[in-house]
Amino acid sequence: MTPTPTATPAPTATPAWTGIAPALEVDHVSRWYGNVVAVNDISFGLGPGVTGLLGPNGAGKTTLLNLMAGLLAPSAGHVLVEGASAWRRPEMYRHIGLVPEREAVPSYLTGLEFARLNARLQGVSDPAAAAARAIATVDLTDAANRPIGTYSKGMRQRAKLAGALVHDPTILLLDEPFNGMDPRQRLHMMSLLRSMAAEGRTILFSSHILEEVERLADSVLVVYAGRLAAAGDFRSIRRLMTDRPHTFTVRSSDDRRLAAALMGDAAVFGAELLDGHVSFRTADHDAFTRALPRVARAHAVTLFEVRSTDDSLESVFSYLVRR
Amino acid sequence: MTVMAVLAEVTLRGLLGRRRTLLLVLLVGLPVLIALLVRLAGGRPDADAVLDALVVRTVLPLVALIVGTAAIGSEIEDGTAVYLLVKPIARWRIAFAKILVAAGLTAALVVPAVILTGLLLGSRHDTTTTVIAYSVACLVGGSAYATAFVTLSLFTSRALLLGLAYTLIWEGVLAGLLEGTRFLSIRQATLGLAAALGVNVPGDPLVPFVSVVVLGTVLVGGLVLASWRLARFEIRGGD
Repeated sequence: MTPTPTATPAPTATPAWTGIAPALEVDHVSRWYGNVVAVNDISFGLGPGVTGLLGPNGAGKTTLLNLMAGLLAPSAGHVLVEGASAWRRPEMYRHIGLVPEREAVPSYLTGLEFARLNARLQGVSDPAAAAARAIATVDLTDAANRPIGTYSKGMRQRAKLAGALVHDPTILLLDEPFNGMDPRQRLHMMSLLRSMAAEGRTILFSSHILEEVERLADSVLVVYAGRLAAAGDFRSIRRLMTDRPHTFTVRSSDDRRLAAALMGDAAVFGAELLDGHVSFRTADHDAFTRALPRVARAHAVTLFEVRSTDDSLESVFSYLVRR
Repeated sequence: MTVMAVLAEVTLRGLLGRRRTLLLVLLVGLPVLIALLVRLAGGRPDADAVLDALVVRTVLPLVALIVGTAAIGSEIEDGTAVYLLVKPIARWRIAFAKILVAAGLTAALVVPAVILTGLLLGSRHDTTTTVIAYSVACLVGGSAYATAFVTLSLFTSRALLLGLAYTLIWEGVLAGLLEGTRFLSIRQATLGLAAALGVNVPGDPLVPFVSVVVLGTVLVGGLVLASWRLARFEIRGGD
């Protein structure tokens, strides 16, 4: 099944869902704690497929996920799960599986007992079979009978996922699910989530790591400082991120000559000679990185150091919010 | 197995951690040990006085405090409560199961201590009446304490401290000094119930009707309040 593009093109617009109804709908939702606004007027809709919730630490990702999981009441707006309010509606948990961010899992239970406990509390008809299936799905069978207290962080994450899968939910909310996983576990989890999305599930996972989202998500929601900075297809968001103005700092054998030569290139719209280096401003990241070595070679300038000074996720998110 | 039984089972397993169990056993073992030592030394003080001073005034509230504040409070504190809250279970059922287990465990620990202490020491009046009266009073009073402390833990992360302050300062000092406020004391209601069942309680316990009303109000009111609170309980993220 091809994942459906899910988020609205305009980040803060009213959900503009076309086709099937969204499984999850966030409509002008805000949440504040006293004077602190954790989530600020966010709207989007989610349908089948994998969506990444991307943002730096403290952006409001967990608050947003908790709002969607019915664990927080919105201060304004509505969160709808399959058409009904998420807040104070326990029956919706038949359709939702949640992997919370906090590592805590009852340490006195084994992985299998934890999965079975979740299955029993979900009212699954055969809890033992459902638990064994979920444990096998997350590749934890070998450690299933060990107390969770002895698990590594990555194993705990998988035990949490097993607990969230026992009732075969149609919606999966995962808060930083790859935290503490080694590369092999990460790949396994990604392939698992991809296959579950292909079965028609709506999966939303949060991450502060761009590469994780890039590898797994079909669409992305970018949050920064409690606001939805961008939403939609990952490639278009990625383009927005790379096409923004960039600043490069270059140290070379002849900064003045290099600056004069590069100012003639269409990719560069500013150069500044500073103490021991030159700073270039460009609107086209890729074009600049192609032009720089070519121009340097043509003018016999040796490059000692090339550094992008605003490549941190913080600056990317901040730019997306400002635009 | 019903959901309530599963909730009760997991609560019990969570409560009976090694250190907490040891502390509880030491607490309830104290009056029994004292009674045993008194018997071995050949003394024979009145069981009524020991059950009143040591069990009802000290061991009962402390056991209920440890059990009641941990029944859901420790899960909220360590973050594992989320696994109960994201289940298709009415929140009042979760509150009820937690209170039931806290009350049951308090009774299961304290009542045998009452029986052993009472039988070892014997009463100057009627040992059977003393043992039955204090057992029933501790069963009901312990349930009321446990209900109050479970409910308190849903409103504050400092339930243990506040519960201790209530037991030691309010019930231990102020309720004795301010006569008109004794109906706000679970201890006074517990002693009132014991008196109503035929034992001589020192001082001036609450009359039976008031005792029953106070304990009933704490039990029912606590459950209603805990259910109300849990239905609106929020899990806040750090992000």
